[in-house]
Amino acid sequence: MKLFLLLSWPYLRRHLFRWILTVAGIVLGVAVFVAMHIANQSVHEAFADTVDRIAGSTQLQVSSGEFGFDESVLEKVQAVSEVGVAVPIIESTVETGLKDQGSLLILGVDMTGDRSLRQYEMEGSDDVNAIDDPLVFLAQPDSLLVTKEFAQRNGYHVNSRIPLYTIDGEKQFTIRGIMNSAGLTRAFGGNLAVMDIYATQVVLGRGRRFDRIDIRVRDGVTIAECQHAIQSALGPGFEVEPPSSRSQHFEALMRSYSMATTISSLFALIVGMFIIYNSFEIAVTQRRSEIGILRALGATQAQVRRVFLLESSIAGLIGSLIGAGLGVALAFGVAGSMGQLMEQTVGVAQRIERIAVDPALLVLAVLAGIGTSIVAAWIPARNAAAVDAVRALQKGKYQFISAGENRRRRIIGTVLFAVSLGTLFFASWKPAFYLGYVLMIVAALLFAPTMTSLLSRALRPILRRILPAEGTLAADSLIQTPRRTSATVAALMLSLAMVMGFGGITDAIHNSLSEWMDTALNPDFFVSPSANLTARSSTFPADIGPLIESVPGVDMVQLVRNARVIIDGTPIMLMSVETEKLRQKVRRVPVAGNIDEMYSAAAQGKGLIVSDSFQSLQKAHLGDMVRIPTPSGILSLPISGVVRDYSDMQGSIFIDRGIYKKWWGDNTVNIARVYAKKGINVPEVRQRVQHALDGRKRLLVLSNDEVRAYVFRLTDQWFSMTYNQIVVAVLVAVLGIVNTLTVSITDRRRELGVMQAVGGMRNQIRRTIWLEAISIGVIGLILGVALGAINIYYNLGMVRRDLGGLDLDYTFPSTIVLWLVPVILGAAFVASLGPAESAVRANLVEALEYE
Amino acid sequence: MNKSRNIALICSGLLAMGVLTIAQDPRTIVEEAQKRSTSMSQRYEGTLEVINKNSRITVKRWKYDRIGSHGTSKSVLRFTAPAEVKDVALLVVNHPDRSSDQWMYTPAIARERRIAMQDRSGRFFGTDFSFEDLEERDTSQFEYKMLGQESMEGANCWKIESRPKQSKVSQYTRSLVWIRQDNYVVVRIENYKKDQLVRRARYTDVQRVQNIWTPQTIEMFDARENSRTVLKIEKLQYNIPMKEEDFTIQALLRGN
Repeated sequence: MKLFLLLSWPYLRRHLFRWILTVAGIVLGVAVFVAMHIANQSVHEAFADTVDRIAGSTQLQVSSGEFGFDESVLEKVQAVSEVGVAVPIIESTVETGLKDQGSLLILGVDMTGDRSLRQYEMEGSDDVNAIDDPLVFLAQPDSLLVTKEFAQRNGYHVNSRIPLYTIDGEKQFTIRGIMNSAGLTRAFGGNLAVMDIYATQVVLGRGRRFDRIDIRVRDGVTIAECQHAIQSALGPGFEVEPPSSRSQHFEALMRSYSMATTISSLFALIVGMFIIYNSFEIAVTQRRSEIGILRALGATQAQVRRVFLLESSIAGLIGSLIGAGLGVALAFGVAGSMGQLMEQTVGVAQRIERIAVDPALLVLAVLAGIGTSIVAAWIPARNAAAVDAVRALQKGKYQFISAGENRRRRIIGTVLFAVSLGTLFFASWKPAFYLGYVLMIVAALLFAPTMTSLLSRALRPILRRILPAEGTLAADSLIQTPRRTSATVAALMLSLAMVMGFGGITDAIHNSLSEWMDTALNPDFFVSPSANLTARSSTFPADIGPLIESVPGVDMVQLVRNARVIIDGTPIMLMSVETEKLRQKVRRVPVAGNIDEMYSAAAQGKGLIVSDSFQSLQKAHLGDMVRIPTPSGILSLPISGVVRDYSDMQGSIFIDRGIYKKWWGDNTVNIARVYAKKGINVPEVRQRVQHALDGRKRLLVLSNDEVRAYVFRLTDQWFSMTYNQIVVAVLVAVLGIVNTLTVSITDRRRELGVMQAVGGMRNQIRRTIWLEAISIGVIGLILGVALGAINIYYNLGMVRRDLGGLDLDYTFPSTIVLWLVPVILGAAFVASLGPAESAVRANLVEALEYE
Repeated sequence: MNKSRNIALICSGLLAMGVLTIAQDPRTIVEEAQKRSTSMSQRYEGTLEVINKNSRITVKRWKYDRIGSHGTSKSVLRFTAPAEVKDVALLVVNHPDRSSDQWMYTPAIARERRIAMQDRSGRFFGTDFSFEDLEERDTSQFEYKMLGQESMEGANCWKIESRPKQSKVSQYTRSLVWIRQDNYVVVRIENYKKDQLVRRARYTDVQRVQNIWTPQTIEMFDARENSRTVLKIEKLQYNIPMKEEDFTIQALLRGN
């Protein structure tokens, strides 16, 4: 502690700004880590909370994926002797016609029996379960119960009218009761309404189907016994599970996004780590004289090491605490964006009303921040401990990285690089793949000083040519201070490599999506009940197909019904398509299998087609049997083809519509793909179709361009993190360069003072500093792009293995690189402005006395 | 002569004792009560007043048709007022050996729904009757015990306890039934769940219609909610021609 007060405290006071910058690195890392994880957890908990509140005292639920099932299943379940109460449910979101209210979660229930499972505490009544007039509620299909929160927010009361978008367009509904705040009503952030289930069927075009059945077991029977009995009665085509399983399915859907946020938050911590490493490396270098004196006076190596580690711990603690607080503050906004994104991409709605702050996470974040700080300072602390007392007092020599040290780094770097290359032969084994990735990064970091030195020397003649005096000084400063320079360059290199990795993925996905949309999403327009193509709650009857086909100018209509089914505990998108029609218009080359055989088998109901992501995530191959639970039993079909498809992150399965109708007993559709005749004016045909559908049902006619724009907009949202990484990279550049230059100015105070004393202009000094900064930026860019090109390969591998199973082509993100050049160089220049001014405004006399 | 008179007296006494014995058998009494109210069909128009514990009153009207005898009868109850509930209907198909099947029809969406067994204890559309109370109670589904005689609703009555047999699914564990001794009309039923009174039904304004004594007013009191529902029967007719096919789900959907 004495050493800390003797050595560290005065230094911190003298260089408070730099110390703040150091702490800022940890703040940034921890804030991103905390915000991302809290947001992730909040989205998940919001969904789970809604599920729990709606479940009430439900102990088991019967479902069959998202398709639902015929009403007759209810009687079968009610006939099981172990069942105490079994009530049908339809659950769906509908858009309200209200400004800024978004969607309403409609719970369709049979009020004659649902009160056994859920409490409806009505406002203004001492009778716990009294609706104003239950018979009117049942008799009038426009009846709704809403929550007190929703009613108050919109100024509603009993008998108020509220507009909702139904399958038949905007309709007015009547509030027959207002539910007090209680468990159920807090689901979905209070945007919950209860309707009679049979009226809900009409509103959503569900025919005679239910979404699920909620069950309470008979007294004296265990849940497991009841579950077994129901499963036996219904067969394997149904899931009979506790309500909590829905949260697990949602978690599966979120898995890719969770993984991406984890990577992103770790990246932020790594960047913070490098800022700390950079700062401490500079600090050790600067304080070598003091360390030398202390060592000469008897301080042990361990004591010196502990001092620096203590400094880093304190920086880590302060940075982590601030970062944790900032992260919590940011989390709500991030959670809201995440929630919206999940609704648009996977079609599962939830409302984030509060963030889930887990104290354990905050503790972990603080520990991670401190740990990162200590790890980052470990090498500088070790170097400080190894300072030779004699050499430390020799000016100038300390910046030199010994030939021995350099050689050691190169040897180790070469070995690691070779091992990393070797792991490529075992890349199919995940641990080998990730080991190779880590080794490659470490090798690059070990080579950073050598490459920095080489590039600095290579830049010297160029800088001399640009500005002879200033350029030479700038280049020499870089060459003579390898420790300082290479640390900053390494941080910048790593940061830019990460950005390029994300950029490579983004570009690859954009290209792949474009190709997919050109080949698979190629109808001229789409007919759908909602603008959000991922919403599957509303369907319409299949007779819409012939109606649209009869419109002049229409060449072909393909009817699609899609929804998720649960296969081995994972929600998988099932698409039923008219295969023969699809074969004529969609000629995409399969990833595995023969295109004609693939379509033939599917059309005949003898096979199915899967997406490449399904193949990757489920480790499936051509010819493997896929077992799909249906209300009629298990449908087993072999994989007849694998195609590139981006309909869903968890993978997609394509079956023929005839098979779907037979096994699910459902004739409805939720999308119609419409092709216009060649040479016909497509917008005119679209208008005619719109006109033909007017007044019939609420159906939107979306052009191909509109759908493409929507898909790309979703993708951009999904990858908004990429753009956040660019911001972080720029911040790293700025922080690191400011730090480096600040130290540089301090180190070269005498030199700069002499320059001024012999007639050097202030602008010359400024230009020297600017050039030094820009050179660091250039070196960082070159190394960053080089490492980034390698990083893209590994990132694509990660996506294939752990982030949706997508097999993407390698794409060099030229646009991002081109954009990074001016940004990083500009940031470097901006970072140099402060230090440059500091250099020119320094007291000349003091500078010349500086020693 | 004395011997003959003695024999006659003894025989009369025995006969009286026999009658008395028969009359004291609770099952017989209940069966007699059912027998005396038996008809091939029944029709009436009803006015239903639901009075909640705050004395707020809601009024509805319905038409009621029944065909068949106790235990195997079918009935259709169709609301006629107010306008919001017009033509909502309930079909009840009674069975002698098990609980009835019930369906509700909603004309606005042209849909029927089955009232599940688990839901029979629920209130019938906001009234104090439960769906189970709309079933007919076949004597074979209950055990009876004579509890004595009591004056009720201004008449001497037998007081009989009935308990559902194991095969009978009921929300009630026991009921107390008061049957008038003069005309075998049920004047009160109290339904209990364990020892707690759940509902009490009073049958008053008893009139003779086509030789069948029938209460014209039925008041159901819900002891837990402290609310009551009064059903007033009007235009009561018995034994008018009705068709079996009018007591089916298809008939409900047709709107008969």
